[in-house]
Amino acid sequence: MLLKEKTVIITGTSRGIGRAMLEAFSANGANVIAHARTRSEELESVMASLQSTYGNLISPVYFELTDYPAMKAFVKDLVARKVTVDALVNNAGITHNALFQMTGEEELRRQFEVNFFSLFLFTQQISRLMTRRQAGSIINIASTAGSDGNPGKAAYGATKAAVICLTKSIAAELGGSHVRANAIAPGITETRMLASMPELAVLEAKQAADLRRGGKPSEVADVAVFLASELASYITGQVIRVDGGLK
Amino acid sequence: MLLQDKTAVVTGCLQGIGRATLDLFAAHGANVFACCQIASDEFSSHCSELAKQHGVQIIPLYFDLLDDAAVKQGAVAIQKTGLPLDVLVNVAGMNKDALFHMVTMEQLRLTFQINVFSQIAFTQYITRIMLRHKQGSVINIASIAGMDGNPGQLAYAASKAAVIAVTKTMAAELGPLGIRVNAVAPGVIATAMTAAVPGEALARLRARSKLLRVGEPVEVAKVCLYLASDRASFITGQVIRVDGGMG
Repeated sequence: MLLKEKTVIITGTSRGIGRAMLEAFSANGANVIAHARTRSEELESVMASLQSTYGNLISPVYFELTDYPAMKAFVKDLVARKVTVDALVNNAGITHNALFQMTGEEELRRQFEVNFFSLFLFTQQISRLMTRRQAGSIINIASTAGSDGNPGKAAYGATKAAVICLTKSIAAELGGSHVRANAIAPGITETRMLASMPELAVLEAKQAADLRRGGKPSEVADVAVFLASELASYITGQVIRVDGGLK
Repeated sequence: MLLQDKTAVVTGCLQGIGRATLDLFAAHGANVFACCQIASDEFSSHCSELAKQHGVQIIPLYFDLLDDAAVKQGAVAIQKTGLPLDVLVNVAGMNKDALFHMVTMEQLRLTFQINVFSQIAFTQYITRIMLRHKQGSVINIASIAGMDGNPGQLAYAASKAAVIAVTKTMAAELGPLGIRVNAVAPGVIATAMTAAVPGEALARLRARSKLLRVGEPVEVAKVCLYLASDRASFITGQVIRVDGGMG
């Protein structure tokens, strides 16, 4: 129970790594404000089941992260209710597979809007709640594609590289207020996002990893729990690769 | 209790990061082979206290890293107990400051003997035991000096850079066999090794960390604890900086 009585906001909890985050954070005792784009019965029943298993509080919130008025309203409501936010996990994101010369301008802009601009603006607002209290941990889900540059991932990789750089700037500016900021760079993780990639490339990537396999979403979620917790009290401004040893 | 029923081998247990790691591992349910250089009543009674307090086995072992035969004997003694090994934390190391033009070959060789060569030998023995069960986690304590370089620490920095390269190579070779290998790169930590740093220099170092403070040994131990545990199951071949954001 690494996060007993802590309150954590997690974006993108519908599926994949975000869903695994919801489970891992609940299992570690955290109260979760679980964001997803749209309401679903499946998600709500999972939340009910987790609360009954772990005795924590999960409050769902539904809005498009690129709907900036909705984002502002959500934060305004948090402030009005005097909610304490101990950690923020910026997990929501989209991918796009296209060779560099085939990447459309519209898709390029959309990647940046969802993966970077909305993350930037959301974190600006939530981090104010943290600096006011002089405490907090921000965890941004980037990708190994953001450091390595991968074929077919020019746009996506660039958005994640931006997230990584932003993370370090945030860490530099807010460290004095006892707010830590770190990024996680998942490698090959078994999610719907992975299923959209060419099979052969995925197989080759798995073989290139020291552990010779892809990762489970729970294995990325566990690292987020670690970074949100007191175990990581002297870690800030870092990018933790969770990639089974991908070169 | 992140290491319930696990058995760990930790070197450099007398003080600083090694001592903090020993204490934290015991508190999290691990049996520990606590290695240090020189036998003492203080140390052996500390080990008995820990064992009693946490209901685990703490077995002190004494050997000098400069003595190849003694290192081997230490490993043999561990192997003879028949306990399956889950974790190895290589903490033992030395530093002696000297500016580049003042570094002697003798100091350079001594630093590499203790920080690199004997660590490699000991790890060879211990991982052979781990390979019987095709699972394990090795954590090597490197240093940010090994990544960034540091005036006055040429020998130390070079030896820690070697530790990092050894870590990644071991991760690549042992990954397919179920053993994860990572390094932790501490920044400026309040230990005997940094106790001699003059006030003004220390203040400048503190200011370079984003958290505006030096770290405590337990803050490095916490990261070792995490990497040792199954919660880090997809992290291998990595160097985790625990430096309050110095680089």
